[in-house]
Amino acid sequence: MNGLRLRPERVRELSLLAIIAIAVLVFATIIDGYLSPRTFNRIASSVIIIAVVAAGQTLVVLTRNIDLSVGAMVGCVAYFTGALLAANHGLPPVLAIALAVAIGTLMGAVNGALVVFARIPSIIVTLGTMAVFRGLLVEFSGAKSITTANLPSWLVNLPQMTVLSIGSFDVRAMVALALVTIILFQIGMSVLRVGRHFYAVGSNPDAAHFTGLPVRRVIFSAFLLSGAMSGLAGFMTLARFGTITVEAAMGLELESIAAVVVGGVNIFGGAGSIIGATLGAILIGTLEQSLFRLQINQFWLDALLGLLILVAVASDSVLITRLRKFWNEARAKRRRLPAATDTPS
Amino acid sequence: MQVAALPIETHRRPVMELRNISKSFGATHALQSVSLTLHPAEIHSLLGENGAGKSTLIKIMTGVHQPDSGAIHLDGAPVQMASSADAQRKGVAAIYQEPLLFPDLDVAENIFIGHQDRGPFTRWASMYEESARILDSIGVQIDVRASARGLTLAEQQSIEIAKAISLKARVLIMDEPTASLSAYESERLFQLMQDLRGRGVSIVFISHRMDEVFRLSDTVTVFRDGRHISSRPRAAVTPQSAIAEMVGREMGLLAPRATTAAEGVVLSVDRLGRDGAFEDVSFEIRKGEIVGFAGLVGAGRTDVGLALFGIAPAHRGRATLDGRPHAPRSPRQAIDGGIAYVSEDRRQLGLSLPMSSSANISLPVLDRFRGMLGMLSRKKEAEVADEFRRRLHIKTASVEAPVGRMSGGNQQKVLLAKWLNTAPRLLILDEPTRGIDVGAKAEVHQFIWELAAQGMAIMLISSDLPEVLSLSDRVLVMREGKQMATLDRKDATEQVVMAHATGQAE
Repeated sequence: MNGLRLRPERVRELSLLAIIAIAVLVFATIIDGYLSPRTFNRIASSVIIIAVVAAGQTLVVLTRNIDLSVGAMVGCVAYFTGALLAANHGLPPVLAIALAVAIGTLMGAVNGALVVFARIPSIIVTLGTMAVFRGLLVEFSGAKSITTANLPSWLVNLPQMTVLSIGSFDVRAMVALALVTIILFQIGMSVLRVGRHFYAVGSNPDAAHFTGLPVRRVIFSAFLLSGAMSGLAGFMTLARFGTITVEAAMGLELESIAAVVVGGVNIFGGAGSIIGATLGAILIGTLEQSLFRLQINQFWLDALLGLLILVAVASDSVLITRLRKFWNEARAKRRRLPAATDTPS
Repeated sequence: MQVAALPIETHRRPVMELRNISKSFGATHALQSVSLTLHPAEIHSLLGENGAGKSTLIKIMTGVHQPDSGAIHLDGAPVQMASSADAQRKGVAAIYQEPLLFPDLDVAENIFIGHQDRGPFTRWASMYEESARILDSIGVQIDVRASARGLTLAEQQSIEIAKAISLKARVLIMDEPTASLSAYESERLFQLMQDLRGRGVSIVFISHRMDEVFRLSDTVTVFRDGRHISSRPRAAVTPQSAIAEMVGREMGLLAPRATTAAEGVVLSVDRLGRDGAFEDVSFEIRKGEIVGFAGLVGAGRTDVGLALFGIAPAHRGRATLDGRPHAPRSPRQAIDGGIAYVSEDRRQLGLSLPMSSSANISLPVLDRFRGMLGMLSRKKEAEVADEFRRRLHIKTASVEAPVGRMSGGNQQKVLLAKWLNTAPRLLILDEPTRGIDVGAKAEVHQFIWELAAQGMAIMLISSDLPEVLSLSDRVLVMREGKQMATLDRKDATEQVVMAHATGQAE
């Protein structure tokens, strides 16, 4: 999907970068001491969770589906992994992460199976599993919370762990973990053959079937990977907060979908990138944390997210179409070729 | 354009006139300065091959399309048909092969949908009363309170007719209304049509069945290639003369090709059948041979292709590919077996429009584009795509540009490239030149020809008769799911093929 020229998709990503920069500048003038490592870390710890979930959500949306259960999956994984660690302090960190990812993958498989084999629309499936997963969490936790006191010390200290320092800025281990995962996903989508399958299935499922692609397997793996990413995000949530209630990660579905559509992933499937969704997550995390510091009510934050989704989707269909048309015409003039494609009668 | 005097009963003031209507879609001229005159109390048949412009014309009459130029007159006064609702208000209604009913509404609601009484409330009592009266007047017994779900096709059509009566339609267009009806149901429909004519309605009738046309019509109009050819009273036309006018175009650039020496049998099909699609189809395609499939739209030709490609597998019969049994259950199996299918619907089933041409071309056989560490090799992809670009003269700035932005002809070439890239033994081409311009068409023909010369077996499904006749070694004609004839190149003339396709062969 690489272009030699500036494609509408690239324009979207560049303008998103500009908007993020403007937002940071605006907040820097309003909030004292905004441009500080402290702010960076605070925002980064929020962004990475949204970004990791958004990467999984991107795969699902690319195939013309949606995963509303990500918040519930993250909450479940955070709680169950926390409970496991509370019971076995000796569990190695790598195994703890693997367990978290495995639990998420399992839940993603439930979603995928219902969408692919029971042929239920994904919006209904994941709306249902969102409630079911959350219900399981309430049932198994007995409404009791995981607290920092129960957790092994390595996990409690993990958010402060630094792998790299640039001047006074620290790159925390969790940020590095998220970055590496996201970059691997982006590379996978652009260089692996299966990456191409996601785009083909999303942009034209009938043609994909006609071409002999395993359409159902592709959709199933999108949900599976969304679950796996939610698993990783669940682990990150556990490490970040230490205290996990049954309400953990509520509203993450809204944030992740906002990140995906703001990042230029077409809500009708077939177009978009993990990088775009990550930029979307950065914008949303920045807005949330900054507005939180300005003591804006959480309800207004949610309303803002909703507004962002609407603006992003509307500008997607209007702006991108206009841009395309403009470029087509410009190119047609240059080459003196008709831009119009013929319509079958 | 009246040629001869009209029969006395229609020799009145025309109810609707189309004057010099032209309509283009991109580079395709669907209609070129077409004129048509409809009189009250007349059944006026429109004849023409697929793509002759009949569909476009009725879409203009019903306000679905706007003409590029020309005028529509109703009762002698010029009018604009802004939308189909507008056309209905002006008394022009249409009934299609597949009735467009709302299955969850009841019969009366379906009759009155879109033109209920003024005001926000439905007057149920008067609606039921009026519906029952209309249905009674045309001798149809259906409960007006029953839901439309589960009605037979014939019943659904009578509801459409009742709707037209309730609209007080003066012009009723019937587009292949009998295509899916039984003989008995068709008879009922013909009585209804004659009944409506008795009430002064002008009926435009489109059918591929010559016997129906010649039994019912007062006037017969022939279209060809978007032009009006003739309008004559029925008595002045014979089925033979009509068919000759329908196909009577010059052969153009296409010269019949020399037969390629045919060696081994690639595909052998024996009494293949699929419920509701086709029955008892048998044929062989040898190496380097092109077998054309002619027939009207819906004759089952595409279904045979789709069965061989594993999309809608056959229920009966056997097929062998290179001597091995061939019964694919999925396109993947068919592709692995060496079959490629260039679909007639390149936007829906052929290409992923937002993706680049190189990505589209590599898609069916991505496994072959392995580079370092088993990763996708974009370099190989681009090389292959570039080679096809040269071979097929695909005009694009870059093989990385999305195919959605290309012209129809270039998209068709990318689609062809995509399937040739699978290096098939058997290539199924379904309407390979539909909707592309003359230049691209000639190039595609040339290319098909070369492929056969290189030994590829080709199944060519096309509604473009000159194309089928000039390219094919043999022509298989289908009609309503049945194999009507298999003609050698020397016996296959346009007249013979059309006669078989319309069921007029002796």
